[in-house]
Amino acid sequence: MTTTAPPTMRTALAAALAEAVDADPSLITLGADGQALFQGVMARHPRRYLDVGIAEANLVGVAAGLARSGLRPVAAAMAPFLVRRAYEQLRLDVCVPALPVVLLGVGGGLGYGPLGPTHHATDDITLMSALPHMSVYCPADAADAVSVLRSALSSGGPAYVRLSARQDPPLPAAASDGDPGTPRLLRDGDDVLLLATGRCVAEALTAADALAADGVDAAVASVTTLHPFPADAVRALTSRRALVVTAAESLGPGGLGDRTALTLGREGPPLVRLETDHRYPPVASHEDLLHFYGVDSRGIRSAVLGRFTRNTRKA
Amino acid sequence: MLHPDELARRARQRVVELAARKAVHLGAALSMTDLLAVLYTRGLRYRPDRPDWPDRDLLVLSKGHGAYGLYAVLAELGVIEADLATLPGHPSDSVPGVEAATGALGHGLSLGCGMALGARLAGRDQRVVVVTGDGELDEGSNWEAAQFAAHHRLGNLVAVVDRNRLQQEGDTENVNALEPLADKWRAFGWRVAEADGHDTAAITDALAGLRSGDGPAVLIAHTVKGKGVPFAEGDPAWHMGSLDAQQLRTALAALAAPAVPALAAARGGRT
Repeated sequence: MTTTAPPTMRTALAAALAEAVDADPSLITLGADGQALFQGVMARHPRRYLDVGIAEANLVGVAAGLARSGLRPVAAAMAPFLVRRAYEQLRLDVCVPALPVVLLGVGGGLGYGPLGPTHHATDDITLMSALPHMSVYCPADAADAVSVLRSALSSGGPAYVRLSARQDPPLPAAASDGDPGTPRLLRDGDDVLLLATGRCVAEALTAADALAADGVDAAVASVTTLHPFPADAVRALTSRRALVVTAAESLGPGGLGDRTALTLGREGPPLVRLETDHRYPPVASHEDLLHFYGVDSRGIRSAVLGRFTRNTRKA
Repeated sequence: MLHPDELARRARQRVVELAARKAVHLGAALSMTDLLAVLYTRGLRYRPDRPDWPDRDLLVLSKGHGAYGLYAVLAELGVIEADLATLPGHPSDSVPGVEAATGALGHGLSLGCGMALGARLAGRDQRVVVVTGDGELDEGSNWEAAQFAAHHRLGNLVAVVDRNRLQQEGDTENVNALEPLADKWRAFGWRVAEADGHDTAAITDALAGLRSGDGPAVLIAHTVKGKGVPFAEGDPAWHMGSLDAQQLRTALAALAAPAVPALAAARGGRT
């Protein structure tokens, strides 16, 4: 299997952001007491990085003001605080006027693991998808995050990118090939389609390996752009499948499962949605939390075996 | 160009006439009318014939509930031609002359910081004025922005606080005390001036005095909520309201044009 190089999203984006700032004099970057993404920018263009300190509402308001003055801001903060603390600024100052502000949320989902619920952001996709004009991306690995950044910068409107906090599992190069606006088929298979986003793409691939040993032939596709949802491409991938399973470390509303269900409607194949819920989680690693909510490879495998056994396989 | 006293008088007339047709935030619109009149005639580099002129100075009305006061001034300047009653109760980008949607409180100063910094980075000689309410300063986001503006020495940013001392539920000092307000701004690294917010000469002088200097500046303008309408002045009940026919007559009588010598005397000989 060809794999992408395994840098973190932060190191990969630091290089990509520096290149983007080299190329576009209207780009300016902002952080909230977190500089890892902007090391390259700071080294090459110190005047084009601003640290607003631990002040997310002001971060977003300043970014909106900069955008109104003709600049193109890229603003980053830890996902839970960027989304929840600055939500009104995101809506009124950035999204209602559809300003070109790219927002990078570090550590979305359950990525901060043992730090506990203050730092979990399983609601970020739901909340950001509710904002007018907002594009919402959930890249699967560092290379995918770089392709998302390029896409978001060229979109001309507000965009939210959920980033992982730490090292991502290695994925096939196909996970970052081509347009992040459409799903990518990473592994073909006749029996069931596993549709996943972000970190759960790696879990779906592991589940597919396990299912092969169970005698189930599972296809795996990743969805990076959750809003606007690539409904036609998802419909094409799911047609003629006996079962579709979605997996995401997100709350249900507005997430991958919701969007897929709306896309398939009553005419589509049976759908099992794996996603997080509002249970208070244990103190545990990212991996263990994925297991707690049933969105890891074991949960995906169980969901398939529970609904799709050898008895119902095609002859 | 109209004298700001006359611009403010006419704008107040528009506000009370509107308040006879629909409920408006009367007190908040009338307390800042003189401030806006000075800003649009003397404080800002502004061309009413070209409200989208790229080199204009920018005014953000952070206290968005005072929208009809802003609309009334812009209507007097010819920027707004629509019937004010058809315009939204808080400023919206869709209204000519409005720089940003506001009125969720505590947003304007951050926007102003971004605009002022953007102008500086682009090498444009452009000032940004943010008009805030005083009750609005309860919102912590203002102080995040105040800290940021001082840290980045935003000398082209001016805040004007409409210090009418009343928020919806009463005296600001009883709800959540702001004093010592000037000391707070100074402690955050801002240059501070204070003035009678209904004395257009004093406002003009105070804004001029804040022009030169390093870093952001704030004018604390001491005002009276509901100024110009005798029964509404200083009465928190007129935070928002509508006027009946008798109240409208009383308000318009109070806002009638003064005889020419009286106006000249009120200006203290200044023009």
